[in-house]
Amino acid sequence: MDVTATSTQKLDGDVRLYIMKEAAATGRVPQPPEIAAALGNAESEIHDALLRLAAGKVLILAPNDGRIWAAAPFCAVPSSFRVESNNVAYSAICIWDALGIAATLHQDSSVNAICGDCGAPMTLEVSDNALVRSEGVIHFGVPARSWWDNIGFT
Amino acid sequence: MLLFRDEEHVGRWCSARGLPIGGMMTPEQGWRLAHEWFKDRLKPDWRRYTPDETRSIFESIGLTGDFWKI
Repeated sequence: MDVTATSTQKLDGDVRLYIMKEAAATGRVPQPPEIAAALGNAESEIHDALLRLAAGKVLILAPNDGRIWAAAPFCAVPSSFRVESNNVAYSAICIWDALGIAATLHQDSSVNAICGDCGAPMTLEVSDNALVRSEGVIHFGVPARSWWDNIGFT
Repeated sequence: MLLFRDEEHVGRWCSARGLPIGGMMTPEQGWRLAHEWFKDRLKPDWRRYTPDETRSIFESIGLTGDFWKI
């Protein structure tokens, strides 16, 4: 592996880890200007790293503007899947990611969602890395092999 | 990947969109899947699972059949 490829891999890893740690600590997914300032890189370098990470299905960019929409399990915009853990509020793009926030944090968490059909509020709770409050059923509308064909719909 | 009150609500949601009913799991299965999938995300050396690893996780949770094939 040449030096350029190695440094690119390191930058991508640093960018990914910064995003995850910042989102975990604050509930807010950092965006390119903040990532660039934190890591001491040019914003163009961060933009290229985000494109590579998105191509590798590590995160999802918003169409057209280069901002991060989701760095699973964290979602950058408010959603109907809300997670509260250690007095921090998080958003997730789906119920899998909402539970994934509790799994990522390894902290007791409350998942507040709504029924996809009728909108009734529903709550799941995780404590000591176990699901201790549960209701309803989870439905995946898209077969596993096609999840990334249209990840927004998935 | 949505949460529903019960299977009747899943059926109504799918019917309203002209979609077939997809894959269903209990929240407990969902938690086990989420835990396996996301437990290492804050580690510096995290990497995506390989297809074989993904298949193994699905099978360990009871997610079998054509819908879960990758």
